[in-house]
Amino acid sequence: MTLPTAVTPGKPDPEKCAFIDGVIARSTGRPGSLLGILEAVQENNPRKYLCSSELRYIAAKTNTPLSQIFSVTTFYALFNLEPQGDHTIYICRGTACHARGSRNLLESLRLDLGIKEAPDEGGADKLTLTTPDGKFTIRTVACFGQCALAPVVELDHRICGHLNERALAREVDALRQENHQ
Amino acid sequence: MTPIADIGSFNAAREAGMAKLQPAAPRIGVGMGTCGRGNGAEEVYRAFAEAIEAHGLDIRLAAVGCFGACSEEPLVNVWIPGQPLVILRHVHSADAARILADVHQGRIPPDLAWCKIEEWDHITARIRYGAGFPELPQWSEIPFFHGQKKIVLRNCGLISPDDIDEYIAVGGYQALYKVLIDSRPEMVIEQVKAAKLRGRGGAGYATGLKWEFLAKAKDPSKYIVCNADEGDPGAYMNRNEIESDPHSLLEGMIICGYVTGTQQAIVYVRAEYPLAVHRLTRAVEQAREYGILGPSVLGRGVKFDIELVEGAGAFVCGEETALIASLEGFSGRPRPRPPFPAQKGLDGKPTNINNVETWYNIAPIALKGPAWFTETGSARSAGTKVFSLVGKIRNTGLVEMPLGTPLKTFIYDIGGGGVGECSIKAVQTGGPSGGCIPLEMFDTPVDYETLAQLGSIMGSGGMVVMDENNCMVDIARYFIEFTHSESCGKCVPCRVGLDKALDVLNGFTKGAGNSAQLALLDELGRMIRDTSLCGLGQTAPNPVLTTLRHFRYEFDDHIIARRCRAGVCDSLALSPCENSCPLHMNIPRFLGLLKRGRLEDAFESVILDNPLPASTGRVCQHPCDMRCRRLTMDAAVNMRDVHRFIADSILLSDHFDAMVARVADRKLPPTGKKTAVAGAGPAGLTAAFYLALLGHDVTVFESKREAGGMLRYAIPEYRLPKHVLEREVELIRRMGVKFEFGMPVSSAISLHDLDEQFDAVFLSIGTWKESWVHLPGTELKNVIPALLFLEGVASGSVSQIGRRVAVIGGGNAAVDAARTALRMGADATIVYRRERKEMPAIKEEVDAAEHEGVKLQFLSAPHRIVGDPKGNVRALEIVKTRLGEYDLTGRRKPVPTAEVARVECDAVILAVGETIDLDFARGSGLTLRENGTFVVDRFTLETSRPKFYAGGDVITGASNVSNAMGYGKKAARRMDEALMGVKRFQRLSGGFDASEYEAEPATEIARQRPAELAPAMRVKSDAEVVVGLTRGQASAECGRCLRCDVRA
Repeated sequence: MTLPTAVTPGKPDPEKCAFIDGVIARSTGRPGSLLGILEAVQENNPRKYLCSSELRYIAAKTNTPLSQIFSVTTFYALFNLEPQGDHTIYICRGTACHARGSRNLLESLRLDLGIKEAPDEGGADKLTLTTPDGKFTIRTVACFGQCALAPVVELDHRICGHLNERALAREVDALRQENHQ
Repeated sequence: MTPIADIGSFNAAREAGMAKLQPAAPRIGVGMGTCGRGNGAEEVYRAFAEAIEAHGLDIRLAAVGCFGACSEEPLVNVWIPGQPLVILRHVHSADAARILADVHQGRIPPDLAWCKIEEWDHITARIRYGAGFPELPQWSEIPFFHGQKKIVLRNCGLISPDDIDEYIAVGGYQALYKVLIDSRPEMVIEQVKAAKLRGRGGAGYATGLKWEFLAKAKDPSKYIVCNADEGDPGAYMNRNEIESDPHSLLEGMIICGYVTGTQQAIVYVRAEYPLAVHRLTRAVEQAREYGILGPSVLGRGVKFDIELVEGAGAFVCGEETALIASLEGFSGRPRPRPPFPAQKGLDGKPTNINNVETWYNIAPIALKGPAWFTETGSARSAGTKVFSLVGKIRNTGLVEMPLGTPLKTFIYDIGGGGVGECSIKAVQTGGPSGGCIPLEMFDTPVDYETLAQLGSIMGSGGMVVMDENNCMVDIARYFIEFTHSESCGKCVPCRVGLDKALDVLNGFTKGAGNSAQLALLDELGRMIRDTSLCGLGQTAPNPVLTTLRHFRYEFDDHIIARRCRAGVCDSLALSPCENSCPLHMNIPRFLGLLKRGRLEDAFESVILDNPLPASTGRVCQHPCDMRCRRLTMDAAVNMRDVHRFIADSILLSDHFDAMVARVADRKLPPTGKKTAVAGAGPAGLTAAFYLALLGHDVTVFESKREAGGMLRYAIPEYRLPKHVLEREVELIRRMGVKFEFGMPVSSAISLHDLDEQFDAVFLSIGTWKESWVHLPGTELKNVIPALLFLEGVASGSVSQIGRRVAVIGGGNAAVDAARTALRMGADATIVYRRERKEMPAIKEEVDAAEHEGVKLQFLSAPHRIVGDPKGNVRALEIVKTRLGEYDLTGRRKPVPTAEVARVECDAVILAVGETIDLDFARGSGLTLRENGTFVVDRFTLETSRPKFYAGGDVITGASNVSNAMGYGKKAARRMDEALMGVKRFQRLSGGFDASEYEAEPATEIARQRPAELAPAMRVKSDAEVVVGLTRGQASAECGRCLRCDVRA
């Protein structure tokens, strides 16, 4: 489990506060509101994560114990407590993708991007690795429900099916080119 | 939009929808589910829209849902007024213009058309499209759809999910209207109970009973929840149902709300399904605008509304109490039951939770009644279930079948069997809570009870097909890794137990495991199953327990032999090619050495792995080709032809003597142990070679006059020239192996003698008896078994066979016999009872035979051989067969038809398989299987008699050269271990400097193919057909290797 590295004391900037206030106002009293608030705030963050100051602010404003906020954000795979890369690549590790070789895709992508640390066992779930330059984040997902396209990779919200290692490398190259421009 | 408040406004909406569904102009619907989009459906839609706009065409365009046939995406349906609805498949954006041009003129592009729908039963209404296009099959005639019954998926792929009018047009909200007008809520609950509808989320609890609990709970603020947190990897039916037909879900929930007196409902959807969330949000908005949701549903004074909540990526939230915790803003950790949610659920209020698919059955039951519903399905499991058929299967997609349909119908009839030439070995049902069902049990009917008996569950309906390239130990490990990471951590058995189980399984996949751990794993699994708090933990061990039960031998392979046959557990293999090779050749090494021009080193590498590299370079079935990772890019590396090149370059050159000396230098010091090998075929020669290198004294006893076995006597000269084989035998002889020809074991030297004179004996006498078919006419002259014929030709005793020859069989012997007959000037016809793709012979050889002029007659079973009064063959009578049901090998059984045909011929060769010489086998006193093969220990190859080992065809039945050699190699290793008490085998192959074959980036060139003689030239002589790679080709081919042996 990851805990926020950048503990930013104090309040988020006023613009952010206003945004958070708005989200809270819209969701209060509805079932599942806390998840919805956290999802919206994370989505609003340019680095797609929840920083410590945001969490504290949400806790105060919703009158939720900070421990509960941390419990929730560390429990659900969707929440990030670390900044995400410019490009996010999700490797689906569902059964059909696994049976059709997604572990090899994950491994070759990791090598391609020069990420040293190997996931323990091919990471069936909840793996997040970001390149030191912050350009790419590799994540795994339990299943996209795109099993007929296995193995499936999502590159910046675009689903690519029936990928092999070479095709994936090409897709990643295309994202790199985008970076250069 | 104005709210619907009476039957008049309801019908108006219906007519508006009908006008969109069947407008006056043609309509084109593009399948825009997530699967369709992943295959390019958005581009297709855009191309249609732009072209319609640009040309001002009077053609309506709609975005519809998914029709279920994922492997055929993108799917497009086209309706021309008065005509059937036509489904087009594999449509690309480039096709849009010509489709429009055709449709504009009332035509359908024939190359894209797949099937047609003349009338569709939406269950809630029937929609007639029209008759026509006689050349197109009905949708139900397509194997993928045949037998499907679309109740849940009744609207999917046909209507626009974003348009409530279209839903109403096909009978939507009619059931709700009827229920509200009848105003007898308790009747509806009775109907749901009588329909025996069971929860489609997996556990299968009776839905009607759950509703009754909720109806009886008098709390005014109770809840209905739809569980759309579809987390089972491999299952995506809920996503597709919501994406394609969101209103059916709403209708089911509203009916439940009314009959149970509940006013508020929640749909808890996975956040990983953005399109489903989007479409459902849209549907809820439209339903509110129409007054179908809100303070007075359809103006009948009933209050009901639905909220959407997105999950945040936690599998355990599919468990109902965890889902409730999540809705309350906590981590999704399950709570003990009781109290059950029906008593104390969300915010402490009575709550009823049903799976998405359950809700889709409600409107049909309410409208058509329970008796109609129970007509479909099995006695205890009524109705249908949607399954996602994925993994290693040809036709992937969503299929809705009556409950109780046998598994093999899914796999073979609908799914079309395995991918490529790989054979299916198991199907995993029920995701991480389910289990793996082996091929032998594919007759199993798929319903709640039967699956549970096999240790699996129905679950949400995922069916992931596994083939021979999947390792069941890895699959068990994969699921435990999944549940381990998804365990919420609340209870000890699940949190700690799964962690320990994962440790053990990780060890197995790395070759560090023992039998005690296997027992521990089983015990651990039962403990976790019996003592965990919630469904996640209680079912998490199922994948392990079922694989332990049905695939124990794969665990044994990993633990005892440290092998993973599927080649998945990469710690147990050098590379996929090495792993697939029966001889476990270090293929990357010889490729790397040759690439650097180190031919002699490459030869040394090859010969130490495989003492018959020139022969196998010509006749091996090359399993490596099927496993090469380069296959996923373009084509496999041509490993077989490269090692043939390396072998030929040395064996047939003047480097021979020097290289033999170099190999002989590797011999270990003499051990003083005497070993005997019975049979000088591929298995025997291999064992003898290694036993000699290991320093033992080796004598080979062979009944024939020369060494080589089937290589010499069954494989014709044009495939394997005898002088090539002779060089290999010479090399083996020079390692110190002594040959005693004309010495059949048992008649010339008894097992007793062998026992007395030798310290260890390897029996590899092969299978030299041709199976005889019971066919009238086999007593005629010129009816000859293939082996006898080939052997006669090889030894020079047979020089002619007749003018027209019929060969019965489909294996290598049949093809070899036919091609040999051709070279003797005869016409040859192969008669085989199945289809071409099912011939066991090597594909290239079948192709070559055909090019040379061999005729192939498939789906033909021999009936009788017709002779003349002099006893000569006149013809072979055959019965045409058709392919019937699938058998357990995944092949369809040939079934005889009434059609009889004649193949005029004057000779018949029987090539229906070889068997062991039963007289010898019985006389040996060794323990035998029913078919006469020897029983041996799977790992040590020891027979029932001490000191005696056996391998090759005598233990497997007729197989092939490389498999036999693999046994020879393994036997030598095991015999040496037994004789010396230490493992010494690896000492033979050391001494290669890895820096001499370092990996370099693979080149992009295409697979190199060896030159061949022109077919017309071939049949005139015995000259070798395949000439082999040139030096340049071989060297280039080496550069294609991806070097899977190099690990980061």
